Amino acid sequence: MKKIFYYSALCLAIAITSSCSKVDNYPAPSDTLSGSTIDEATGKTLQTEVGGGGTRVKLLETSYSANPVPIYFQSKQDGTFNNTKVFAATYKVSVEGPFVPIVQTDNTGTVVSDSSQTVVLKGSATVNFKVQPFLRLEWVGTPVVNADKSVTVQVKITRGTNIPAYQLDVTNINLYVSNTQYDGSNNYDPRYSTLTSYNGSTGTALLGQTISITTTGGALPDQDVYFRVGARINAGLNQYNYTTPVSAH
Amino acid sequence: MSNSNQQEIMKKFKYIFLVLLVAGISACRKLNIPPKNIIQDPQVFTSTGGIQAYMARLYSELPIEDFRYSPDMGLNFFWIIKPTPATTGEALSRDQGGSTPENFGGWHWDVWAGNYTTIHDCDYFIQTLPTYASTYTPAQVNAWLGEAYFVRAMTYFALVKRFGGVPIVNKVLNYTPGSDVTDLKVPRSSEQAVWDQIGSDLDFAIANLPAVNSDYGDGTRANKFVAAAFKSRAMLYAGSIAKYNTATLFDAAKNQLCGIPASAAAGYFQKAYDAAKLLDGQYSLYLSAWSPTDKAAQYQNFVNLFSDPASKENIFVREYQYPNSVHGYDAYNVPRQLMGPNGYSSEVNPTLDFVEKFGGLPKNPDGTLKTLDASGHYILFNNTMDLFANVEPRLRASVILPGDVFKGQNIEIRRGIYTGPVTGGISPLLPAGSKSQYPTTNLVVSSNSGQTAYKLPDGTLMNPAGLSGVFTGDQTCAISGFSVRKWLNPNLATSQVLENNETQTWIEMRYAEVLLNKAEAAAELASLGQTGSINTSDAFTIVNQIRSRAGASLLAGAGDAKIDTIRAERRKELAFENKTYWDLKRWRIFDKEQNGTIYRVLMPFYSAQAGKYFFDQRTDERNNVYTYDTRWYYEQIPGGAISKSSNLIQNPGY
Repeated sequence: MKKIFYYSALCLAIAITSSCSKVDNYPAPSDTLSGSTIDEATGKTLQTEVGGGGTRVKLLETSYSANPVPIYFQSKQDGTFNNTKVFAATYKVSVEGPFVPIVQTDNTGTVVSDSSQTVVLKGSATVNFKVQPFLRLEWVGTPVVNADKSVTVQVKITRGTNIPAYQLDVTNINLYVSNTQYDGSNNYDPRYSTLTSYNGSTGTALLGQTISITTTGGALPDQDVYFRVGARINAGLNQYNYTTPVSAH
Repeated sequence: MSNSNQQEIMKKFKYIFLVLLVAGISACRKLNIPPKNIIQDPQVFTSTGGIQAYMARLYSELPIEDFRYSPDMGLNFFWIIKPTPATTGEALSRDQGGSTPENFGGWHWDVWAGNYTTIHDCDYFIQTLPTYASTYTPAQVNAWLGEAYFVRAMTYFALVKRFGGVPIVNKVLNYTPGSDVTDLKVPRSSEQAVWDQIGSDLDFAIANLPAVNSDYGDGTRANKFVAAAFKSRAMLYAGSIAKYNTATLFDAAKNQLCGIPASAAAGYFQKAYDAAKLLDGQYSLYLSAWSPTDKAAQYQNFVNLFSDPASKENIFVREYQYPNSVHGYDAYNVPRQLMGPNGYSSEVNPTLDFVEKFGGLPKNPDGTLKTLDASGHYILFNNTMDLFANVEPRLRASVILPGDVFKGQNIEIRRGIYTGPVTGGISPLLPAGSKSQYPTTNLVVSSNSGQTAYKLPDGTLMNPAGLSGVFTGDQTCAISGFSVRKWLNPNLATSQVLENNETQTWIEMRYAEVLLNKAEAAAELASLGQTGSINTSDAFTIVNQIRSRAGASLLAGAGDAKIDTIRAERRKELAFENKTYWDLKRWRIFDKEQNGTIYRVLMPFYSAQAGKYFFDQRTDERNNVYTYDTRWYYEQIPGGAISKSSNLIQNPGY
């Protein structure tokens, strides 16, 4: 009897522990995909915002499936991106953001142009995208501290594309104020930022001109303050194009 | 162990083995017998009681945004502390910090699997009932089938308004273990196909349902006109998306999963108009206590509208019953001074932006409320209600204004006592547009409801804040200066203002909405130049019908009944009924209204030296910014649904 008991106990123990020993021995993803989104006219990387409302990289793992579920990761604020945890595979890579889409479809769903890049990732790879931003924002001079300790900035906004479908009216020009450089539509101090919406072509009329914007709410606090101007047209996901963040000091 | 012992044991084992074998084999023979503990089709489908039980399930699953819904927690949940009005700008809530999409991760009812379970239940009913049709009269069978089509249409409606095109599954999918599942991974249909499916399901329901539901004629179950009313709503949504949507998504076969070609807009608006027209003469606006001249009667009539079971305005309702099906609307929303025994209160605090939409208020040329005199000093009032003396009665029935009466009490809302000088007038406490905190000098405030009374110059004592707020450190109060009135039960004793204890009826569809659907569809058709099949004076007539009942001033001429006027009327009439959220979405104006927006509030102060009240309007003191992300017009399909069915294409931007 005892023997039977011991044998069955042993069998059970083997059955239970053998399931435990099945480790996931597939190596963790360790390949690196890096690159940048570049304004094709200026050669500079294209400013965006951190978080879900900015440029992101789209990976289609074509070596896994002809019709794969896309994988995304976010770009950094300065328009560069770097992901060090990617599986070695073949990817069709594109970026999505406030610029003329890499993959363009017409109003019936037909793909009319596709400048996605195919990358055979093994170790590391760099992929750069030259894009046409919807709007190009450039600082004019540096921020000026006024007598009442508010700050006035000057900026020039131009179109980044000649394609008529993306030459829509400018809907918003906003001066964002924040105590960090990660300044943007999702992170700003509402007490001091100056937000302006435009109807019709009033915002568009400001294109090409030097625009002065002053902070709101009187004196700025005595601390590090970063300024950034964002503007947008209602295209794609309605994201903003930005200047670089600058500090008043 | 001895040998004989061992033999005995072996014998025992043999017997045990034999018994097991016999038992096992005999059990095999019985596998063909239907299990007695599971209810089978014949038991359900051969009796009216069985059908009623099936219908009870379908209707309880019916996805409508009622008292038990919030964008954060989903459908059929009890704890509603981030209420829908606090996401639309109708109100502020201490628990809602800004714009939000629906939070499917927090949903306690699975938006995808839950809705497809309901669709499955409808499909199963539609497929199975005809087998048992001989048990019933043809009229019964047709009516029940009509209800199943109605519920299925409503469920597709709940999906398409959130996600755009979704899989259309109109037959029960069966899975045989081990078989290929490719056929079960139904891809998304085009958005247009789903709206058309809703239209055709509702057409079936309209054709097959009787004018009065023969099982329940009280509006809790569908009849012909209920189906028509919802068709007017659904087709109006579809037309709006065709006209105003800009986001698009196509699959590889060029089905348009998001968006509808603009050319389809007029067709949908016409269907919405025609469906609404079917209700002409069947229902009417509630006017039982109304009088054309008495504002108090107009107010009481609008209050009663939400609680009178005999109202001819109710088209489709959801009833609650203690203790089986309950909600907690009053517990979460009564003004602070009427807080129930287990806490909460004041979750819905209407914004000044919302209140200003109503008529009868003193206004500045820019449309804002007039609270300053010509010299830029505060206007002083003896009572806080004086500012609202001529306001349209519908506002008072929707919003508790500071100082108005509810449950026999004056609802006291006061931000603080101003102790500064009053000679020459009181200047604004803050510069216009300032988002700063109020100054601390010359102001006495309370951080919570345990107040220290302030001694006024005449020697009497007064609490710095009102009984319902505003407290600086406890947001369980009227943080906007207002508290919600609509739906609250004025007869519920404070001891009974508890969570899971309220049972007032939710009116999901009332005739006022059908009229407004018709007016909007007519105005949209007129703007598209398609006036051939409509009565062009409808929009004007309807807005004035609604305004007259509300006690508001009437439109002067037919030319005033523009799309924007009708939308504004709709937002006032249907406020706090969880409709505005979907309206702002389908009009695609959510992102324009909530674009770095801080909503405005109205803070009543008492001037100790003047002995009078004044009002300061400012932005939300918490500086909560509302920014609606345009991606949310098409919400994110839950990742779990895509993992299970990799044919599902995610919406843009997620």
